[in-house]
Amino acid sequence: MAGFVWRLTRGRGAKQFSLAVCGVLAVVIAFLGRAEASLFDNARATLSDWTGPGLTQLRAPLLALEQWIDNIGTIFTVYRENIQLRQENAELQKWQNVALSLENRMQRYELLLHAVPDARLASITARIIGESNRPFIKTLILNAGTAQQVKKGQAVVDDRGLLGRIYVSGERTSWVILLTDMNSKVPVVIEPSHRRAILTGDNTPSPRLELDVGDGPIKAGDRVISTGDGGLLPSDVPVGVVMGEGDDVRVALSARPDTADFVHVIDYHIPEPPPAIGPVAGTPAVGPAAARDATPPAAVAAIVAPKPTTQVNTAPLQSQNLTEPQFDGQNEEQDR
Amino acid sequence: MTNAVDMLEHLFTHPLRFLSSALPVGLALLLVMLANLPVSFTGGALPAPALALAAVYFWVLVRPDLVPPFAVLMVGLMEDLLSGGPPGLWAAGFLAAYALTDRQRETFAGLAGAGALLGFAGAMLLAGGTAYILATMIYVRFPPLPPLLLESVSTVVFYPLVALSMGWVHRKIVGPMRGGE
Repeated sequence: MAGFVWRLTRGRGAKQFSLAVCGVLAVVIAFLGRAEASLFDNARATLSDWTGPGLTQLRAPLLALEQWIDNIGTIFTVYRENIQLRQENAELQKWQNVALSLENRMQRYELLLHAVPDARLASITARIIGESNRPFIKTLILNAGTAQQVKKGQAVVDDRGLLGRIYVSGERTSWVILLTDMNSKVPVVIEPSHRRAILTGDNTPSPRLELDVGDGPIKAGDRVISTGDGGLLPSDVPVGVVMGEGDDVRVALSARPDTADFVHVIDYHIPEPPPAIGPVAGTPAVGPAAARDATPPAAVAAIVAPKPTTQVNTAPLQSQNLTEPQFDGQNEEQDR
Repeated sequence: MTNAVDMLEHLFTHPLRFLSSALPVGLALLLVMLANLPVSFTGGALPAPALALAAVYFWVLVRPDLVPPFAVLMVGLMEDLLSGGPPGLWAAGFLAAYALTDRQRETFAGLAGAGALLGFAGAMLLAGGTAYILATMIYVRFPPLPPLLLESVSTVVFYPLVALSMGWVHRKIVGPMRGGE
């Protein structure tokens, strides 16, 4: 044994010396990367900007091969899947009618209560050009960066729900840390108990819920949505559903990073506090009757028009007008 | 410094030879990019294999003179940066595997068939183990082990494919161009 260790460690000139130096360098870089993350984030952003075109070119033929292999697999299950999809479609059409009716009712209530509408959020559609499903990290690389107004911390969603958030933004590419990553912690709310929790990734497909505030009951199948707490993410973005009970409560995520091709980066800002309000000349009338009477056209338009929290853009990134403001920040007074 | 001057002189006097000597590292870097493409043939069930390690292992056995430790560090760092992980983890892992393979080159090179696969599995486990210990130290907690084991398995499964491709490059390009050395 001692002889084997000796053979491994004994020097063999310049090569052994450079191997030892490189080994020490790698360890130093590992600790330095933890302490000074921004240093390597810049290098990572530059590298992904540089390799971005190559990744896009390499991806096309491999994607075609992947789809071909997937199709072979689905040939044998297509009949069963078709029946299942028809049933799901009938069920969803029922739910669509319910949702439309509830949306109308909600609009009427908001009108009656003069409720402040949700700020309409701008989003940027980007293509996934890289993916890392590794033991120590779960990330995606997008083909949009600071040149397309993508910034660190922004939420990333697919058509089903929240995927993660941007943690490095280069000029033309950006990196998304997924909710499943062991470094991801996101504040969420569980409905209908309205209990708050932290969704903590642990590199498994279903992140853990660390229950935080409230004592409402939680059961499998409850909805999990994002909350604006901490100003990180917009609220009410679907995250998933609760699975498991007891001490190990986990979330089956709605988003599917392995099947997503395009994602939306949400440009979210914490709403600014309203300016100080001066003395009111007269006490406004309250109650449903007053609300019915007080319906100036501008206020009605401001309340009814902006609704969805996430704008789903199906157009490719290049065709999107990024300068067009979707949240009417110039007329905040009127919006309120 | 002298080495850099020699390399530049070599580049201008024997450009094809220079390119063929850079091919092993270039191919390893290409495999780093391939492994990080958003494509999964297992529907996301298996993590992407560390293809670059398979290339490094092959070339250290066949032509160790073309894979200096600094190049292995660079390949490992590119793997770390492009996979989004903490920098240095796979760089250290690749260097550990390199050290083992380089020291026991005769033993590993003599293996064939399932033995060759087991030899690479040993190098992969050493690389993964080194990265895992380093990750535990910098995160100050134990990362989950199953994803690392799955990645090791998927890398070992892909090794024959990488070894066959690299073997072809060695026979057809690198060997003839650098013949007589």
